Amino acid sequence: MKLEVSAPLCRGHGRCYTVAPDLLEDDDDEGFVTVRGQIIDVPSDQEDAARDAAGSCPERAVSLHED
Amino acid sequence: MTSTAAEGHAVTPGITERVPSGCPVIHLDASPPLEVGSHWQKANELREASPTFFNTHAQGYWVFTRYDEVREMYQHPEIFSSESITPWDPEPAYRFVPTQIDPPDHAKYRQLISHWFAPNAVARIAPQAHEIGQRLVSGLAARGECDFVTDFAMRLPTEIFLAIIGVPPSDADLFVPWVEDFFAGFGGDLEQQQAMGAALGGIRQYWVDVLEERRGEAAPRENDFVSLLLHSTVDDAPLGDDLILDILTVLVLAGLDTTRGQLGYLFRHLADNPDDRGRLIEEPGLIPSAVEESLRLYTIIFGDGRKVAEDTEFHGCPLRKGDMVYGLVSGANRDPRMYDRPDDFVVDRKANNHLGFAGGPHRCLGAHLARMVMQVAVEEWLKVIPDFHVASDSPLMERGGGAMMTLLSLPLAWEVPA
Repeated sequence: MKLEVSAPLCRGHGRCYTVAPDLLEDDDDEGFVTVRGQIIDVPSDQEDAARDAAGSCPERAVSLHED
Repeated sequence: MTSTAAEGHAVTPGITERVPSGCPVIHLDASPPLEVGSHWQKANELREASPTFFNTHAQGYWVFTRYDEVREMYQHPEIFSSESITPWDPEPAYRFVPTQIDPPDHAKYRQLISHWFAPNAVARIAPQAHEIGQRLVSGLAARGECDFVTDFAMRLPTEIFLAIIGVPPSDADLFVPWVEDFFAGFGGDLEQQQAMGAALGGIRQYWVDVLEERRGEAAPRENDFVSLLLHSTVDDAPLGDDLILDILTVLVLAGLDTTRGQLGYLFRHLADNPDDRGRLIEEPGLIPSAVEESLRLYTIIFGDGRKVAEDTEFHGCPLRKGDMVYGLVSGANRDPRMYDRPDDFVVDRKANNHLGFAGGPHRCLGAHLARMVMQVAVEEWLKVIPDFHVASDSPLMERGGGAMMTLLSLPLAWEVPA
């Protein structure tokens, strides 16, 4: 599974790194997720957290790509 | 019957002729206080009847009731301008910065402020926030009763806000009545307009004095937001007093009453639901999730307004430049198209993507702070007062949805150990 955060859609709600703290983190500055605008691999033990992160985003900025 | 600012304003001539047959026309004034829960029930009814309405309240405005449409409104500021955010008042006399500034200028102002309320900044203040929470709870515990809304829910966010800004938290004594008076008028009650004006004047003068104390200093004071603003520039120019005062005023108005309102509903839920209370005592790790759920289920934002910036067709509605629209956030947050068990409080709900903090570029700038304040409230309260109930024989009343909703009072009672 891969997780993508859309840079234009992300508004720094902070929901994704709050519900998936072992997968995502905030940038320590403005509160955006560090991987804004990136696609990352999701470790198999983080797939549920990734789903919750995607489902928790009010902007639909977080999308998942199943392998 | 209270008179409202909207009365006396006729519906814009010709506008109702543009309403298509698939868009029902209603007349809804959401500003009067009602029994608790009435506004969410109304939002549910509207959402299930139609995704769009035309409301003949005030000059008339379009209403969007469902999650997808409300989010779409938030995400398209080029169509839905924040020049006015109250649909019954398209030409407001006040200017909230950055709330009412549209992109691209919006980002310049917002960045000045957003660092101050980012998660790491909020984390820095958290120990002090817990101390404030502990002091307020311990001051109430021995009484065995309180009006939660006035004795705790307004006081806690105000003190924490003043602490994060860098002024004395004890000045909450001044701010609490100002904020009360402002919102009594903001929702549309004409009789309260004078008190609203006086409150705005008081808030503004407070910040004028704070500015004067800091003016002329060579470097910004540490952890002092007003001092930082005095040393900040936008487009290489200093902000100027008027803009700084606008920013500080909107932070007070956007940040304090809202958190108070949200806390009241959450604590009413906890008072009425010992199982959820017990679960949060057993598993305090669920407190953040419970806070999110209360933001979704008990959203204090009945709806949010925008002004149409260009002619466009939106879900069958022929919108024209200058029209006002109203996204029914309380309808969106309980939309069964989005949520399982939409009308239930699910403590550990997953995929909670509520719009309680809005969305798009104007996403609530204080969201991280508000969450922390609410988490502190639940944690510190439950440690000292684990069992409590609503002590009222008459139904609780909530302020109308013209401004942000809040319980007008929440009498709570608990056993005091002998």
